[in-house]
Amino acid sequence: MLRVKRNKGFLVEELGCWTVQRKLSNVNAWTVSAVIIMALLFLPNLTIVSGIFSPSNDNWAHMKEFVLGSFIKTSLILIGATGFLTIAIGLSLAWLIAQYQFPLRNFLKWALVLPLSIPPFIGAYTYHGIFNYTGVIQTTLRDGFGKDLNPAYFDIMNIPGAVFIYTLFLYPYVYSITRIFLSQQSASLIESARMLGKGPVNIFFQVVIPISRVAIIGGSSLVVLEVLNDYGVVKYYGIQTFTTGIFQSWFGLGDIETSIKLAASLMGFVIFILMAEKLLRGRRQYNYSTTKVRPLPLIRLKGWKAFMATGYGLLILSLGFLIPVVQLIDWTILTFGTIPTEEFLIYVKNSVTVAGISATVIIIFALIVGNFSRLVHGKAAKLLPKLTILGYSIPGAVIAVAVVTAFIGLDGFLAPLYRLLGVDHTLVLSVSLAMLISAYIIRFFAIGYNSIESGYDKIGTDFRDASRLLGVGLTKTFFRIDVPMLKGAIVSGFILVFIDVLKEIPLTLILRPFNFDTLSTKAFQYASDEKIMEASQASLVIVGISALAIVVFYKFLEKEPE
Amino acid sequence: MYISIQDLCFSYPDTNRAAVDHFSLTIGKGEVVSILGKSGSGKSTILRLLAGLEKPSKGSLCIQENVVFDDKVFLAPEKRGIGMVFQDYALFPHMTVQDNIKFGLSHLKKEEKKKRIQEVLELVELEDYGNRYPHQLSGGQQQRVAIARAIAPNPHLILLDEPFSNLDAELQVKIRKELRDILKKANITSIFVTHDENDAFALADWIIKLKDGRIDAMGRPCDLLGASRPSEIRQQEPELVGV
Repeated sequence: MLRVKRNKGFLVEELGCWTVQRKLSNVNAWTVSAVIIMALLFLPNLTIVSGIFSPSNDNWAHMKEFVLGSFIKTSLILIGATGFLTIAIGLSLAWLIAQYQFPLRNFLKWALVLPLSIPPFIGAYTYHGIFNYTGVIQTTLRDGFGKDLNPAYFDIMNIPGAVFIYTLFLYPYVYSITRIFLSQQSASLIESARMLGKGPVNIFFQVVIPISRVAIIGGSSLVVLEVLNDYGVVKYYGIQTFTTGIFQSWFGLGDIETSIKLAASLMGFVIFILMAEKLLRGRRQYNYSTTKVRPLPLIRLKGWKAFMATGYGLLILSLGFLIPVVQLIDWTILTFGTIPTEEFLIYVKNSVTVAGISATVIIIFALIVGNFSRLVHGKAAKLLPKLTILGYSIPGAVIAVAVVTAFIGLDGFLAPLYRLLGVDHTLVLSVSLAMLISAYIIRFFAIGYNSIESGYDKIGTDFRDASRLLGVGLTKTFFRIDVPMLKGAIVSGFILVFIDVLKEIPLTLILRPFNFDTLSTKAFQYASDEKIMEASQASLVIVGISALAIVVFYKFLEKEPE
Repeated sequence: MYISIQDLCFSYPDTNRAAVDHFSLTIGKGEVVSILGKSGSGKSTILRLLAGLEKPSKGSLCIQENVVFDDKVFLAPEKRGIGMVFQDYALFPHMTVQDNIKFGLSHLKKEEKKKRIQEVLELVELEDYGNRYPHQLSGGQQQRVAIARAIAPNPHLILLDEPFSNLDAELQVKIRKELRDILKKANITSIFVTHDENDAFALADWIIKLKDGRIDAMGRPCDLLGASRPSEIRQQEPELVGV
């Protein structure tokens, strides 16, 4: 027997009241944990914003009058030139690989990402070592050909040199994003252009560049953020930028207020760049999308064209990876044993420990925040995690300033507790490893979160709902269904965070506890002390681990159905 | 009445339009009810509300006089004793067929679990497929596993969301009959939503037509047949007249 009641009327006021009640009912352990995590990740950055309004001192007045302008100018030159060159190299390589078949194409397809495994500061000192008076180029010219050229010709420790280094080691951001875009999305458009009688050059400029605009801007904005974040290259090459300014005012002048103001200026600069990027991205009107992804059929190159394509790919790979790695191996062989094994193993252990802990915590946090975002409806639940991942666009030096300020404040707050426990120092947390790890978590949370979020998106909510309807609660469902299904996303997120922490420099230099060294700080220190050869061992381990992780990651991604 | 839904209202956050608008109905034990409507009419939302996957802004659901939700009570989905078969089946890909079915039987002892798994596998005629993984099954087999998993814990009510949308036309006709047999054999009260009139007419004891979240028409398939059933369907399946 079936009976149906039909009701008229619909009370809007009543619905409004119930909506509030519904939202409140979403408050559970997941929501509380996620909100606490998001606050912890986001709030330290507010100290930087508040720093803008604190009273100025003489150092800041001096900086503002004489130095700030040059910081902005240098930064603009660095990001402008690097941006242009990485687009030129990244896009041309992406187009070659996506459109043409030529010898070694399949090898170059993934190998061209390898320069990303060399942190720019390691590339910077390696190339300096190659080009300087005792380096392989000048020595060969002198000893082999009797040519004693002016050493100034080989000086790369200047702005063009830094641009050269950034371009070689950061172009893979543009290359990898654009290549995936071109190979998935362009087949019909390019074939239509071909049918309309366009040649390769016209197609490249009239079709490929416009349709790839979003991918190009996406990749190049990562390059720009990396350049603004960099401390190692500019410090080593003696170029004055925001990050070196922050270090100078902090460690040179002992003036943390000026550091905060500089950090705030840099943050303003980054926000300006991000807004410009958003504006350039526009409404994605150039983004051609279709549900039927058809790979671009490859055109086989023959003769000199095939030779040129392979040669170009190998040239960039050699400059960005093979030459520096061969040089590092050579130096490692020459200096092997100069650093005591026990000491070296401590650096390895420290690096692996901080990278491992940071990556683990980030993945746990990302799983909680990601689960919150999909459990709770409404704009706030979608927007809050986005705010948290802004950390990746805030340069390391800025985060360092923010975290130190927050931890010193926290130590002040906990001082009575310390006294109660019989601790006689006033600074406890702010001189511990916890501060460094917290800073890594804020800086690299976005990398882990993006990976986990895309994993959640891929599995959807049906499995979770099915589990709950079979009588299993939220938390049990999370461990029995979500976690096993997110395995791929968890592993890839962990790897990406791990290698980023391994390579990190400015945060580690500022926030490490006394006498705590990692592979990257040690490599940087040796290089800064002009012990370039000794720096090679630690560098080689970083490059080796990163390269391996990148190869595994890209091979893994290639096998993914999407 | 076995199932009683009263005055159900719901609208999605940040929208003003009601997705479900004062929906009420009662169902007897073992009856199969079809909610028929175009996409966006609110039919899947009703299932999600009954399952507890969304929280209604108003209304109540009682099963055998026990309140599942109303103004004061809101039982979590896992505590309702309601089974659901999802549009894409949502079989856990990292578990075998047996493990998928076992997942909802945590309240039973080991031997009882084994017995129940065997029973439901027999019911859906997949006795030999217990050790297979979902990706090793055809679309029709996956659907039957999803049904087996949903009915294994003996739910009071089973909800089916567009159960045939992932099947090809030939398989749809075969599975429709099988599904009705399974549901009737298990004597489980069910509500299924579909946009396809053929599904509704073939499977349901009662049909509710939904439009903009409101009930537009309702009745037995034979009552609605003359008014709205396309003539070509009548010609194809004349044996359904008088169900």
